[in-house]
Amino acid sequence: MRRQNRLLAILLGVLAALVLIVGGLSAVLLLNGGPSGGGQQAGGGTSSSGALQLSGGDPITMDPHLAGDSGSAEYIVEVFSGLMTIDPKLNVVPDLAESYKVSEDGKTYTFTLRDNATFHNGRKVEAKDVKCSIERAASKKLGSSTASAYLNDILGATEVFRGTSEQMSGIDVVDRRTIKISIDAAKPYFLAKLSFPTAFVVDCDQVQANPKNWTRQPNGTGPYKLKEWRLGERIVLEANDKFYAGVPKLAQTVYSFSGGSAFTRFQNKELDVASISVNDIDAVRDRNNPLNKMYHVDGEFSISYIAFNTTVPPFDDVNVRRALGFAIDRAKITDVTFNRMLVPATGILPPEMPAFTPADKALPFNPAEAKKALAASKYAGKMPPIEFTEIGGGAEGRTDTQAFIEQWKQVLGIDVRIRQTDAATFYADTDAGKLQMFNAGWIMDYPDPENVLDLKFYSKSQLNDIRYSNPKVDLALEQARVERDPAKRIRLYQEVEAQVLSDAPWLPLYFAQSHTVVSAAVKGWFNPPMVIPRLRFVTVER
Amino acid sequence: MTGYVVRRLMWMPVVLFIVSFLTFAIARFGPGDPVAVAAGQIRDQEVLQRIREERGLDGPMVQQYLRWVNRAVRGDFGESFIQRGYSVRELLVPKMWISAQLNILSIVIVFAVGIPLGLMSAWFQGRWLDPFIISALLFLSSIPVLVVLPPLQWLLAIQFNLLPVGGWDGLFAIWWIGDVVAIPIPDPHLYLPLLVLTVPGFAGVARLVRVTALQVSTEDYVRTARSKGLPESAVALRHVLPNSLLPLVTVVGLSLADILSGAYFVETLLGIPGIGSFTFESVRSRDYDVILATTLIVGMFFIVMNLITDLAYARIDPRIRLGTGART
Repeated sequence: MRRQNRLLAILLGVLAALVLIVGGLSAVLLLNGGPSGGGQQAGGGTSSSGALQLSGGDPITMDPHLAGDSGSAEYIVEVFSGLMTIDPKLNVVPDLAESYKVSEDGKTYTFTLRDNATFHNGRKVEAKDVKCSIERAASKKLGSSTASAYLNDILGATEVFRGTSEQMSGIDVVDRRTIKISIDAAKPYFLAKLSFPTAFVVDCDQVQANPKNWTRQPNGTGPYKLKEWRLGERIVLEANDKFYAGVPKLAQTVYSFSGGSAFTRFQNKELDVASISVNDIDAVRDRNNPLNKMYHVDGEFSISYIAFNTTVPPFDDVNVRRALGFAIDRAKITDVTFNRMLVPATGILPPEMPAFTPADKALPFNPAEAKKALAASKYAGKMPPIEFTEIGGGAEGRTDTQAFIEQWKQVLGIDVRIRQTDAATFYADTDAGKLQMFNAGWIMDYPDPENVLDLKFYSKSQLNDIRYSNPKVDLALEQARVERDPAKRIRLYQEVEAQVLSDAPWLPLYFAQSHTVVSAAVKGWFNPPMVIPRLRFVTVER
Repeated sequence: MTGYVVRRLMWMPVVLFIVSFLTFAIARFGPGDPVAVAAGQIRDQEVLQRIREERGLDGPMVQQYLRWVNRAVRGDFGESFIQRGYSVRELLVPKMWISAQLNILSIVIVFAVGIPLGLMSAWFQGRWLDPFIISALLFLSSIPVLVVLPPLQWLLAIQFNLLPVGGWDGLFAIWWIGDVVAIPIPDPHLYLPLLVLTVPGFAGVARLVRVTALQVSTEDYVRTARSKGLPESAVALRHVLPNSLLPLVTVVGLSLADILSGAYFVETLLGIPGIGSFTFESVRSRDYDVILATTLIVGMFFIVMNLITDLAYARIDPRIRLGTGART
């Protein structure tokens, strides 16, 4: 019996110990300003001292040469900088460079660095830092997935990608402040490419000294220093008082990652800027709501579209593609399904992109035209089975996809089967050319039509995942690449866009928009259509 | 005893080898790979192939596996693809800690509620309360979490706004009285996950306790105690109760082994940044090294906890002799 009492005692003891351990450890964490409690206190404590409070998430990486996503770029463009940047009006302007000269033939750029440009630790930025950074970004060892797309114009880049050379022959250090970059053809969009993080300057000494962990306290050149990064909790950026373009007015920005609806936290004054979800959109659109005055809608360089693999039946026939395009009513869908939080795409190039025209150039909703196009196709009356693939986790399709499938059935009598996969499977299938038609999107990284038209529709482009090929389009794209008269170049891209829309390898669906509320205390805030440096233009007045 | 422990521990590498090979193979059967997922929209095949070579993701699978083993035995579990620049260990430990806190709390609650309910049921055997308790608990445990969680979220968080929809904010929140007195209270983010993690578990514990309590109460020594003239309450407390808790040691041990593995659906649906939701995300993005490391750590912990349970059992119950193969 004593033994049994001991058993009971042991069991109760274990339970009690568990409670004590959990409670005790949590209490310790709490007292030490642990994960959650501390985070909120830090956020709240700084609110009175002119800090900006934003919501955010962990960047996939703080390494500018590896980052390919906008989430990471958001921080990177504030902590690092490069020769060129994009200003709030979307002009490509010098940043670390003070000025630049383009050679007669348009193939050589000579940059003069700012005399006062330094890293966060005070070391001067020299031409050799630029060279070393670009060579690191392109190196085989780093394995950056963006390097090839952004640096391949530079002479000798391919050798560095393949690991056959460590030096890029097209980069020439002239003196401490002068660097010459030679490219393979006179490409007017080359400067815009240099504004992307892949071409940013890093402190090669720091990277070499600490190749694995240097991004946790990067010695950048940007207007802000990474003061704190607690995984899963928050990122704090602090103004760089040595910034070459003037010390930023905004002293600190706190990005907190903790859960809860951003809009609720905005109303609670925990955030200065919050994006609006479809649940809250009606509230802020209401003119009687005081929040309505803080509500902003801005365009983004992002398009969603339906893509057809132009080499597999039935989409190797342009008439089938056009028939499906004429049969869908995108305006109605944006109204009903998305509560007008997206706008119907008027073409491929979104507003604010050079060569954009406001006229609706996409195939209009026209059931009669749709039937006519289908009748003209070689598949009329003998339509093979069609499968429409999209990324998703559910058993049923996206709401808009379901609506489209219904319209194709009603207008054309075509049965389209929906298939959802996870992203990994989707990418593998798209890249292997296995999909007949699929839902996709494209985000433009710099304000040049080349960034979508050439990459997605040039027949030999690695990113042309629909196997689209039109010699006329190819020729115009090749001309536009090296056309040095801006007006002519824009005209070429407009022709390409019109031709592609008529060939209908894509059915453009929507242009994305950002819907935000911005506190009245924040001055100078703007929502650019792409990720560009922004904090240096912002102030907080409380 | 020592020999037994050593023999059990010697099996561990074998089990871990099998577990890691199966996980490795299964993860790679999925279409796609982490390189393409990490590249996002700029998927230049030539570039991706170069990155695969650089990260050891090309070549025959057995060769890839051996490369991984070679690194893993030296303690290098690789680098995550979804969180570059952080080692797998740095990513997993904080997330396992969050899941562990949640799991330990829910285990404590399951037993603290399940044991009294089981004893009550046994006490009231033959009356309406016994079948009522057991069938009510069985009903509660038979609804899958996946089904019950969304409506609960909708009801408690959105309709009545009593609890947060999801998220994690540590175990304690501070309740201020004025601006002076601070009382730590369980954080409101805990209630919903604890509710769905504990309620389905009551039935198992309660039924086990009930059955053993009934069995024990027919044993000779209980009859002897009664015939000695002990009051019924003393018989129940001193003879029936301790003996009916004996089988629970195994159950406690097995649930302790689960502490480090997260509840996938609960964590994912409630946005709790624990190991469960992280594993789910890793599988979706084919983050091979993270998937493998998680499986191995959970596997290792499971083996150790199982061993401890067996040892504890032998210590508590003298009828069990370990290592001789004969159990009576």
